[in-house]
Amino acid sequence: MAFEMGPETRQVQGTWDVTTYRYKIEGKGMKLLCDAMKEKKIRGIRCNECRTVYVPGPTFCRKCHIDIDEVVEVKDTGEVGTFAVLMADMRGNPVDTERVSAQIKLDGADTWLGGTIEGIDWHDVKIGMRVKAVWADNPEGKLSDIDHFEPA
Amino acid sequence: MERKVAIIGQAQTKHSEDIGMPRERMLFELVKGLFGQFGITRHDIDTFVLCSNDFQVGRTISNVFEDTPVGAYMKDETKVEADGVWAVTYATTRILSGIYDTALVVANSLGGSEFRPYLIMDYQLNPTYDRQLGFLNELSTAALQARSYMDKYGMTDAQLDMIAARLLRNAAKNPNALQAKADATPGYVAGSDYLYEPLRKLHCYPFTDGACALLLASAEKAKDLTDNPVWIAGMGDSIESYYVGERDLFRSRSTRLAAERAYKMAGISDPMGQIDVAEVSTKFAHQEPIICEALGLFEEGSGGEVADKGLSEIDGEMPVSPSGGGLGAYPFSAAGAICVAECFRQLTGSAGDAQVANAGAAVAHGQDGFCAQHNAVIVLSKEEG
Repeated sequence: MAFEMGPETRQVQGTWDVTTYRYKIEGKGMKLLCDAMKEKKIRGIRCNECRTVYVPGPTFCRKCHIDIDEVVEVKDTGEVGTFAVLMADMRGNPVDTERVSAQIKLDGADTWLGGTIEGIDWHDVKIGMRVKAVWADNPEGKLSDIDHFEPA
Repeated sequence: MERKVAIIGQAQTKHSEDIGMPRERMLFELVKGLFGQFGITRHDIDTFVLCSNDFQVGRTISNVFEDTPVGAYMKDETKVEADGVWAVTYATTRILSGIYDTALVVANSLGGSEFRPYLIMDYQLNPTYDRQLGFLNELSTAALQARSYMDKYGMTDAQLDMIAARLLRNAAKNPNALQAKADATPGYVAGSDYLYEPLRKLHCYPFTDGACALLLASAEKAKDLTDNPVWIAGMGDSIESYYVGERDLFRSRSTRLAAERAYKMAGISDPMGQIDVAEVSTKFAHQEPIICEALGLFEEGSGGEVADKGLSEIDGEMPVSPSGGGLGAYPFSAAGAICVAECFRQLTGSAGDAQVANAGAAVAHGQDGFCAQHNAVIVLSKEEG
């Protein structure tokens, strides 16, 4: 790689594609959720001590710092915890159609699940609004099996 | 130091090439095990000091994924990037501030299974010069350092092999070590392939998955929790120029300065006489004499003679790295914390087959950067002082 000589400062082009990683992730709670989604159901893990229901379920409770494994099913209905209206794609380019990105507190869960809301003008979306999951016709056991949420 | 700080407990993973579980699970089990030794919970910890590196974890702000497994949810938490020895230093100063009475240090990396340490180290190279050359990396610079010491002081390849063989034998006495051989001989080391001559594979640290946790407390709290505290008597730190061409590679001036600071704080005027055992972060066998000499444990340039006479053996005059040190296991970030933990095991008489007789004072060392650019030293003692 050749140096570009400036009057005072030299610039050299470099890249920073550091390396590839082989990440290990905790798959248990995600598998539990994805397996449930094949049946159009949503399952998480409850802490026996503080009764917090996590979806997706971790293997330990953040608050009680103990192993947890009690599987619980939560509803596919819930309320909007918070939302944003996406007027650009993930790289910041403007889009023609706005999308509502929301965090949904499902009935029976203590955590929020991310999803989009359709079937309503985004001006009318409100925090606390009741919504229901709209499932893919043929769920395959992946997070996109919940196609979107719509007002319930 | 007006306030006194003690290490009261340690826990380590069984270091391996592949820990076989996610980082979060590894840390959760490690910390739960340590808490279990004392019957405490995360709510007994006033401040959490983590040590991991974004490049090695492969995610920016690496600690955000480590907080919940170590029990830091909604707690006071901070992070150090370089090495676990600095995390111990940081935790100590936080307790010295008077604001905290207990601190948990947790350091980890998955250098065996998740990333390639040499590739990551390449990105520490200066991109406008060193990286462009195409013949510098962590290993080749270490080989330059090895040659520099060996030539300056007449240390032979066979003596370098003796250092590595001793460390591999020590590692065999350490249940957590990864690279070990109970009957390792210099010939065994010499039978491993050259990577960058004069360095052979068995002169080098193994790529390691592992973690180390240390529990620190103020004097009052330490006495509540244990009858066997190990006191932090002194700390020191020093860094050299980044550029290896600006350093004397055959010695470590920064380690010497770090040690002088730590010894002054600890009231040590004669390290050879007052230190009973050392745990030294050596990524490569030749770094052991360089660092030990800078720590004042041996005469400058005596590496070959020390090896010949077995002075640094577990039952020698100045035992160095009874755990096997960096040749036994070198999980980045955790390596220096492990040196502190191994000193703790020595001073509490819990080092098993590697136990040094009558160990009352120890020195732990940690390093970071090419050819140990940055060095930190902690003096530990059974005496509160």
